[in-house]
This record gives sequence, C-alpha cells and structure tokens, in this order.
Amino acid sequence: MDLADRIEAFRETLDEWLRGLYHGMITHPSYEKIEKEAEDAEDAFILACFPDAFGIPSPVSYYTAELLPYLEDEFESWERRLWDRSTYLERKGQQYHF
Amino acid sequence: MEPFVFFGGKGGVGKTTVSCAYALRCARDGQRTLVVSTDPAHSVTDVFDQPFDDSPQSVEGIDGLDAMEIDPEDEVTRHLDEIRQDLSEQVSASMVNEINRQLEMAHGTPGAYESALFDRFVDVMRNAAEYDRVVFDTSPTGSTLRLLGLPDLLEGWIDRLMHKRRTSIDLFEKAAVGSNEPRRVMEGDPVLARLQDRKEFFDFAGSALQDDAAFFLVLNPDELSLNETERAIANLQEKDLTVRGLVANKLTPSPDPDENGRGGRYLRERVETEAERLETVRSEFEPPLVAEIGWRSSEVKGDLLSDVAAELDIETAAEPPTHVS
Repeated sequence: MDLADRIEAFRETLDEWLRGLYHGMITHPSYEKIEKEAEDAEDAFILACFPDAFGIPSPVSYYTAELLPYLEDEFESWERRLWDRSTYLERKGQQYHF
Repeated sequence: MEPFVFFGGKGGVGKTTVSCAYALRCARDGQRTLVVSTDPAHSVTDVFDQPFDDSPQSVEGIDGLDAMEIDPEDEVTRHLDEIRQDLSEQVSASMVNEINRQLEMAHGTPGAYESALFDRFVDVMRNAAEYDRVVFDTSPTGSTLRLLGLPDLLEGWIDRLMHKRRTSIDLFEKAAVGSNEPRRVMEGDPVLARLQDRKEFFDFAGSALQDDAAFFLVLNPDELSLNETERAIANLQEKDLTVRGLVANKLTPSPDPDENGRGGRYLRERVETEAERLETVRSEFEPPLVAEIGWRSSEVKGDLLSDVAAELDIETAAEPPTHVS
C-alpha cells in the first residue's frame, strides 16, 4: 500500500467520523424530531380510524376496518406507543438531549 | 324518469306492496326491472309467494321482473369474512388476534348495519347495467334517511383521513436519513389506495342518488304517518334529494249508500276524516299525491297486486343512468 492509498483511506475514515459526529450532534436530533412528529401524525390517523378502541363509536369504523390488514406495523407500534406514553409533556421532552 | 326508484316511509304503511306493484307495472311496460328489498322480514317473498335471496332471481310468471332481498346481517358477516381473509394473507399470526379484536369491535358499532346496507345498495346501482329500472323497497324512514345522507358525510371523513395519512408518510420520508429506507413511502401505500377506492365509491353513490334516483314516500291516512312523512320530506330536502311523489295507501273503502248499520256509519266517518287528511296532504305537502290505494281485505299478492299497480300514477319509462360507467 503506497502513501497515496493510505492518505486516501485515512481521509475516508475521517470523513465518515466527521459525518457521524455532525449527524449525531447536529442533524440527528432534528431527524428524530421529524420522526416523532410523523409518529404523532400516524397516531392521530389511527385514532381517527378506530376511535371505538376507546369506546367512542364511529360511523366509519366499519369502513376503516378494511385498512386493518394493511396497518399491521402501524397498529402494533401505535399500541406500544400508547402504553409508553405517560404524558404528552414527557413525549415532547424526549426530543431534547440535555 | 330516473332509473333508480326508492320507496320509503314509516314502518307498516305498505312500502313493499307499493314497490312490488310499481315494479310489476314497469315490467309489464317492457322495462327490465329489479326490485330490491332491504327488509329482513322478507316481505317480497310473501308478495310473490316465492323465496328470494341476495342475488337477483326472476319472479315466476312475470316476464322481465327480478327480485332480491338483502339481509344486513349477512352483509356485515360477509364484510367481516372478507377482511379476515385479507388479514390472514397480510398479517403475521401473532398480530392476527390483536387485530381481530379491533375488527370485531368495528363491526359491532351501531352504524355497521347501515354501512353494510349502504354498500349493497350502491353495489346494486353500480352493477345494474342489465336492468332498465331498479326499485328499492327501503327499510323504515329513520334508518333509510341516515343511509341516504351517508355519502356526503363519509366523503368528507375519508378526505380528512387521507390528509392525515399523507402528512404522516411525508414526515416519515423526510425523517429518513441519507440513503436509509423511510419507514413508510407514499408511492404504492396500500392504505391510501384503499381510502382512494372508498372515496370513489362514495363519490359514485352521492352522484347516483343525486342525479339518477327518484324518491317516493308511502303514507297512510293517519296523523302519525302524516307527521312522519312531513319530517321525511324536510329531511330529504336537506340532503338535496327531492321527493317526487307521495303514495297514500290503505284508504278505507266507502260503504254503499243504502248501508246504515253500525259498520256502514263507521266506514262513512272514517272515509270522511281520511278525505280531510288527504286534502291536507294535497294542499300542504309539496310533492304531489300520485296514488290513492284502498284497503284490501286480503294480503296483496297475485291479481290484487295488478289492481294496485293500475292505481299507481307513476311514470314507468326509464332513462339510462348517467353515472354508471
């Protein structure tokens, strides 16, 4: 391996590290925020589809039930998130890394 | 006149008789006719003395007339089974139980029967190409009115659901870092596709009811029936569906002039009050009174049905539907 290759390899590692560092410190929290927001939007969607899960009868659950076969992942994580989430404040707080 | 004709009214006023009579008349006038009943009591079966189920069958002895009976309970079960089928194809065994519970809950909600009926109604309208005329014998007023009000409500609802779904997918796509696969993708999302299908279905239902359907209300000459009819007319108008005409059924026959016994006097009095009520209907209600049908001493079927049919002053010529592709 000659010098040029070694410099190249070093630069690649450095580049990866820097990118990782940048992502971890700067961008990841915001991606996380967006993802949480997406999950919230999805929760709202599923809640709108199946309010009868909370005892609120809905005229459309008969129709939205058709979506259930395609909502496997969503449904499972929805239920998990509902169990996890103790307060709304706590959920919002998770986005800040102190 | 419009190809789809709905007969509605309070329970027990004789909607089935009038619908069957009208269907018979249409068939005799050379229209391929289908009469659809949503009454789980299976009264069309009684009128034609022949059992029917939820697929059209020709009525014996009458050319060009088919009949079918829709049982909402069966429809709900069928819908449930269809979803279960999808479920077993799509979902891992461990989740099936979880989702099944949700599914059963959804089918136990108060609106399930109505939704099932509505689905079937619209389905019949959509696939009515081989008929010139479809006559719907609807269930009593309240639920039918709700039924006809559904498309608007549901379309709005589905719109909002689709918007929510899009927002969340969009965010998921944005949250995907670099070349990572996003958790959900807009392209080919089966949920959005299902919702879109539903939206088109309601869209069709709404415009078919609006442009291709005519509504008639059947009433009896009594106070309750008149009040209910008045409400029904207002209700339908609110939904931009106009009632084309009213059918007065079960009118008391007047006795011969020389009859002066108790029965004769009773009948004469009744005929008088009924005549007053009919006058009210004529003068105060907007839709015209298109038929006055007297009481029959026996069940209306066979020849009697032809008599009733002759008394109906409703046009039979059918225009082709505008919304069926």
